[in-house]
Amino acid sequence: MREITYLEAVREAMTQEMERDSRVFLIGEDVGEYGGAFQVSYGMLEKFGPERILDTPITELGLTGAATGAALIGMRPIAEIMFMDFTTLASEQLVNQAAKLRFMFGGNATVPLVLRTPAGSGTGAAEHHSQSFENWFVHVPGLKVVMPTTPYDAKGLLIASIRDDNPVVFIEHKLLYKTKGDVPEELYEIPLGKADIKREGKDLTIIATSIMVQRSLQAAEELAKDGIDVEIVDPRTLRPLDTETIVNSVKKTGKVLIVHEAVKTGGFGGELAGVIAESEAFGYLDAPILRLAGREVPIPYNRNLELKAVPQVEDIIQKARELVNLRV
Amino acid sequence: MAIEMIMPKVDMDQETGTVVEWLKGNGQQVEEGETILVMETDKIAIDVEAPGTGILDGISANPGDVVPIGTVIAYILAEGEDLPKKPIESKEPVLEIPESSVPAEIEISATPVARNMAAVHGVNLAVVDSTGTGGKVTKADVQAVVSRAAKPVDPREIYATPAARRTARIEAVNMGLVRGSGPGSRIQVADVKGYLTSKTQADFAASPQIQAGEVIPLIGMRRTIAERLTASYQSIPHIQFTVRVDMTNFFKARNDYNELALKRGDDKVSVTAVLVKLVSMVLTDHPWVNSSLIDDKIILHKDINIGVAVALEKGLIVPVVKNADQKGISLIAFETNDLITRAREENLNSADVKDGTFTITNLGPFGVEQFNAIINPPEAGILAVGSTTSEVVALPDGTIATRPIMRLTLSADHRIVDGAVAARFIGDLKTTLENPILMNY
Repeated sequence: MREITYLEAVREAMTQEMERDSRVFLIGEDVGEYGGAFQVSYGMLEKFGPERILDTPITELGLTGAATGAALIGMRPIAEIMFMDFTTLASEQLVNQAAKLRFMFGGNATVPLVLRTPAGSGTGAAEHHSQSFENWFVHVPGLKVVMPTTPYDAKGLLIASIRDDNPVVFIEHKLLYKTKGDVPEELYEIPLGKADIKREGKDLTIIATSIMVQRSLQAAEELAKDGIDVEIVDPRTLRPLDTETIVNSVKKTGKVLIVHEAVKTGGFGGELAGVIAESEAFGYLDAPILRLAGREVPIPYNRNLELKAVPQVEDIIQKARELVNLRV
Repeated sequence: MAIEMIMPKVDMDQETGTVVEWLKGNGQQVEEGETILVMETDKIAIDVEAPGTGILDGISANPGDVVPIGTVIAYILAEGEDLPKKPIESKEPVLEIPESSVPAEIEISATPVARNMAAVHGVNLAVVDSTGTGGKVTKADVQAVVSRAAKPVDPREIYATPAARRTARIEAVNMGLVRGSGPGSRIQVADVKGYLTSKTQADFAASPQIQAGEVIPLIGMRRTIAERLTASYQSIPHIQFTVRVDMTNFFKARNDYNELALKRGDDKVSVTAVLVKLVSMVLTDHPWVNSSLIDDKIILHKDINIGVAVALEKGLIVPVVKNADQKGISLIAFETNDLITRAREENLNSADVKDGTFTITNLGPFGVEQFNAIINPPEAGILAVGSTTSEVVALPDGTIATRPIMRLTLSADHRIVDGAVAARFIGDLKTTLENPILMNY
């Protein structure tokens, strides 16, 4: 199969959906002439013209509101927020309007909006361009939250998000943009709410999101050398969550390590731990549920501190060993 | 300081113990853990170990003496030490020794005292956490397990993972006996599984692997059986009567009971359960068969408590269904199933095996058609139940048919049960078994 980057997979999903469906358009800051801050929409302006690739002023609230309104009258907008940090500015329209309208109109209105945004640290972009806010939106009924890990997942999940009649927050990761993987050329959907087992194992379940899936896979290779057989579950969609796959994995291994980049307190790991503790998997737990997540600090500019602020491969290996060797 | 030797409490409801024999006398050197006394309860003879090393002295209870538990019956003195002037006040002993006492014959490194103690307490050495030098299991290690096992464990007091608890629940493992390998000695699922494995192996190793030429000491249950049966056979003149019973109606009744039990979700009704019920009903009309000759008195028992002999790997035990005449079939079925199951798991307590007034022993399942049983004293009768076989019988109208026939043999204590009394009982029993509906008359 053809190998392309995560970034190209996102662009291809948007391009193919825009070709297929004239109601789909892209709106955002620097998405047109500049080709997107990370070049995700590079070349799309030339292909689709300024009516479907809309550059906006620096106004996240305005562009999200415009996209929400367009969605309400039957368009299928893709709004790009340049950095997830700026979704704080967009959140009024997203949380208080887009997420609510379908309920407020008794199902007579739909908001088929996709809000794409890159999250995460690792680029030296410091406090205002490195954050992971997924759990802010997971907390809002009416929103769906998607966090793809691989190019294949990125394309299939973005297509499914565009076709979904509800507002979807589609969270990409800056460090994943350049990663490569097999991606079919044709259009395909990956259903929202379906987790993926990225690696099968029997000793320990690691539930990881986004870049942490990749780091967990690397950790698993190292751990395998010590005979520790790790299973890695990638929820892919945080809301709605595929609890069945998670519960079954925990029942199999009896030990859980949750890894995400976002700050631990109030992060999605707490939700995952709660889901597991409430489920039938509880009786299968043979160790405490552990969370490995971002430290309780803003992402620092200093490169060494930035690396220390979020879980790295070595951290995952260490925590996994603690769990499997019953040191916790 | 003189070490007190007390009459131990080995049975839950035991109040006294009888001194059978001192193996060491006053002035003799004894080692801690060495067997120096044989005592018995009303159930069983028990070897009692020296509580310390030194010189045995001041024996105050002689063979045949019945002594309250906790009473000081001797002292172990140090070299040159005198007997205490006043008897030290008795105190309640901590240990409870279960009736089973199978030597653990497994290749585990243990001190002789520990091995002996484990044998007496039925503890599998394989599951004992060893602290001695070179991994030897010490007396204290066994003691720790015994005291943990002695009291029922509140699951909330156990530090264990949910998975370990779940596994223990499914496998019916007493978590108090499992050693935790997790942080803070938390019990992991692997610990429960490991316990089960070692227990199974230890049980296997401890089960009698009899080899030709082997010499087995007469101890524990075997000794009790040997002594009781010899005494019974030598002192009680047995009379025996056999009847043939047409079991057609009995089996029909039992099937009816089982259909009802199935509908109600009750325990399956065994042949034994119905026999217990019918025998107890017939006994209500025959008080002499439900009596005991003790010393110079004949006691006609008010209660009808039917013992059911259960064969075990290492002997025989007779759990008792109390007041069977007053209980319904379903309750008796439940109780007999429960007693037999627990007997095979060696889980009976002393209340389960005492106060029997009549015994039923059934060797039918082994294909034995008819046999004579030895009376289980102080009872006056025992019923030996043979197998049921299809036999050709002549019916009252002169025709011939095949019928399920079972032979019952009553052994009765002829000192108190006359031939005619025994004959009437066995005749009534035959009539009742052949027409179980008469039970309701």
